[in-house]
Amino acid sequence: MSSLVRDVRQVARGWRWTHRPLPPRSAEPHHTFPEFKEFPTDWARSPVAVAARTAILRGGLTPLVRHETTLHVTGLDVLDDLDGPVIFVANHSSHLDTALLLTTLPARWQRKVTVGAAADYFFDVWWRAVGSALVFSTFPIERGGVGLSETPTRLLADGWSLVMFPEGTRSPDGWTRRFRLGAAYLAATARVPVVPIALVGSFAAMPRGRSWPKPGRPEVHVRYGRPLHLQDGEEPRAFGARVNAAVATLLDEDKTDWYAAAKRAAAGTTPSPSGPDIARWRRVWESSASPTSRKKPKAWR
Amino acid sequence: MSRPGFVLEVDDRTPPLLVHSGESFRLQEFPLGTRVIYPPESLPGVPDVDETIEQALLHPLDSEPLPSLLHAGMKLTIAFDDLSLPLPPMRKPDIRQRIIEHVLEHAARAGVDDVQLIAANALHRRMTPDELKAIVGERVFRSFWPDNLVNFDAEDRKNLTHLGMTEQNEDVEISKRAAESDLLVYVNVNLVAMDGGWKSTAIGLASYNSLRHHHNAHTMVHSRSFMDRHNSQLHSSAWRMGRVLSQHVKVFQIETTLNNDAFPAQYGFLTKREWEWSLRDQATYLGAKRGIDVLPAKARRKLFQSMEAPYAVTGISAGSVEPVHDETLSRVHRQQLVEVDGQSDVLVLGLPYLCPYNVNSVMNPILAACLGLGYFFNMYVGQPLVRKGGAVILNHPVPWEFSTLHHPSYVDFFEEVLSVSTDPKVIEQKFEQQYATDPWYVHLYRTSYAYHGVHPFYMWYWCAHALDHVGDVIWVGGDRRSVARMGMRSASTFADALEMASDTVGSSPSITYMHAPPHVLAHVT
Repeated sequence: MSSLVRDVRQVARGWRWTHRPLPPRSAEPHHTFPEFKEFPTDWARSPVAVAARTAILRGGLTPLVRHETTLHVTGLDVLDDLDGPVIFVANHSSHLDTALLLTTLPARWQRKVTVGAAADYFFDVWWRAVGSALVFSTFPIERGGVGLSETPTRLLADGWSLVMFPEGTRSPDGWTRRFRLGAAYLAATARVPVVPIALVGSFAAMPRGRSWPKPGRPEVHVRYGRPLHLQDGEEPRAFGARVNAAVATLLDEDKTDWYAAAKRAAAGTTPSPSGPDIARWRRVWESSASPTSRKKPKAWR
Repeated sequence: MSRPGFVLEVDDRTPPLLVHSGESFRLQEFPLGTRVIYPPESLPGVPDVDETIEQALLHPLDSEPLPSLLHAGMKLTIAFDDLSLPLPPMRKPDIRQRIIEHVLEHAARAGVDDVQLIAANALHRRMTPDELKAIVGERVFRSFWPDNLVNFDAEDRKNLTHLGMTEQNEDVEISKRAAESDLLVYVNVNLVAMDGGWKSTAIGLASYNSLRHHHNAHTMVHSRSFMDRHNSQLHSSAWRMGRVLSQHVKVFQIETTLNNDAFPAQYGFLTKREWEWSLRDQATYLGAKRGIDVLPAKARRKLFQSMEAPYAVTGISAGSVEPVHDETLSRVHRQQLVEVDGQSDVLVLGLPYLCPYNVNSVMNPILAACLGLGYFFNMYVGQPLVRKGGAVILNHPVPWEFSTLHHPSYVDFFEEVLSVSTDPKVIEQKFEQQYATDPWYVHLYRTSYAYHGVHPFYMWYWCAHALDHVGDVIWVGGDRRSVARMGMRSASTFADALEMASDTVGSSPSITYMHAPPHVLAHVT
């Protein structure tokens, strides 16, 4: 019996039962990736699952996020005038980002939003797929270039808003990477507005490699921007650039103020969100500092 | 589309790799940086085997079509490879059966009455009627057994013909029936590059008098390798003999090649690359491993020996021996050849339960050594996978176990000969003649199912090149007494074996693991 247990352990360890399987590096050119089969997530958008998620978000995740971080949310009023599905597009540097977005959205949006998540990361093993679909309302996005899934279009048509991180993966150094055009194409195809969002401080609070925010309630900012609509005759590529610029302006706004950022945007001098071209450690060093919010004016001086 | 073979470099993502070890297998973790040679994936079989056979017979290479070689009143002999090929035995119908049936249909149409089928077993054991039937099929067996379907008897002096000498004074003595036929059709299964060509007729139908010229320590040491015909003295000798033979008898050679589907579908994990194992493969491995571990030895052997390979035929060529064989080799290379850059300090081999000489029998220590150091070590073109003076680590339990029915002379060879010397040249000089001519062994070879008395010597000669080349041979999990008798060492685990090899190759050697079966032929540059 002990030899069986030993063999099972060896297989479990060797084939990474709790992780996604990876081919050896030298075998990658010879590796045939299995045909992409989308993990079914429709069940996670059923009324029962939505009710369960709402309870989890309100009763568990929201208090947890607010307990572990010092959260500042601005710009939510932009959603007041919106009705119907939108695509929320944000920069991405931490696993905290999804939780920040879901827990800061107003209740009516929270109930009808779903998050595009990397199929190879969040849907590699069944328990992770089920967990993320239930708690974070995720649906799988294949990053391996196997063709676009029809799921996002279908979800928008069904009235679900999407959260997408066009960088495709978490930033390795906290600075924003190039936006892929998938979200812009999708918005153009489905004729839905894009709401840009800037997430600041999440890299400092919980960078790659951490599974829990740093102690000390690090400060994080969630800044919602005005929705962007595809203009007549506008190409998705140009629209994508506009979305990218809107997020950059929001990040600039977080460092300065709304008016200064608006002036710089108008003059085309918004600092690049991809950060300065300096040594990697300096980029990481800068990103790993928590943002500082301006102190509230004291009521009594 | 079949993927080519390649050389894997073990890294932190590499799962443990399957290693065969006799009638068992296990997963072995290899040191980072170990090179692992994987064979190409199975090539697709020909879409219509019967049509391919017919095309080969009607459009042969450098020969008239078979029907024009057949006529009433002629003497036709069909010789075919014995049960040592392919390994594991092929799922029925055997390709030899299908080809022989086609040849016989043509012969029947031509009105040929005098037909004899001979299993070209040389000094191998005779096959039982059931074993013969499995190869030639029920129709052929019923039509020709027992008078005109026979095992070749290399000790039946009155049925041997001395055809002459080669330019290097080698006797060419083969089956009289074959030598005196108007047409000798040879039906071959070319599992590895060593098979086929003139080796089929000039060795398969030859007597000890002829075989001794190339089955000796000197020739074997200078066959580098057996799988590279142009650098193999064994093959050069066979080719010389073939040229003598061709002056006396018209040979119509039919060679077939198989793909790498060596194991039934339910054991698919045995041929899959480990990181591509599905959950089902992993569960099958665990179930099979557990089942094998708890099975009694007899049942385990029965289970393994009953395995039939679902080989697909990748091609059939017919006609003159040499052009046919050239075409065959190109197909074998396409299925098995892998480019490997340079040698390593240590070569690791996992030896399965079967070699050409223990079908339906026991793999005794000499056969295990022959499989590892004779066959697997020689699966190269260019230069050996391990450097001169390096170490070979073999995985096999090497039980002190013999079949007295099939391998009676092996028992005495192991007890009497290897206890005196393990040097192939010494034992050849001292003992070979005695075993080759021993009347009891001759009697058992002719009337029972015993390998010829000299056969264990040949097995030991097969190891001669490896024994000459490497500095250390270590068996993982090998019976210490058996291994010591062969002048080698045994280790309990792979880690221990590496530790022991450090005396020869240092503490951080380069390691190559040849992931076989299925067969892989390394082109080492």
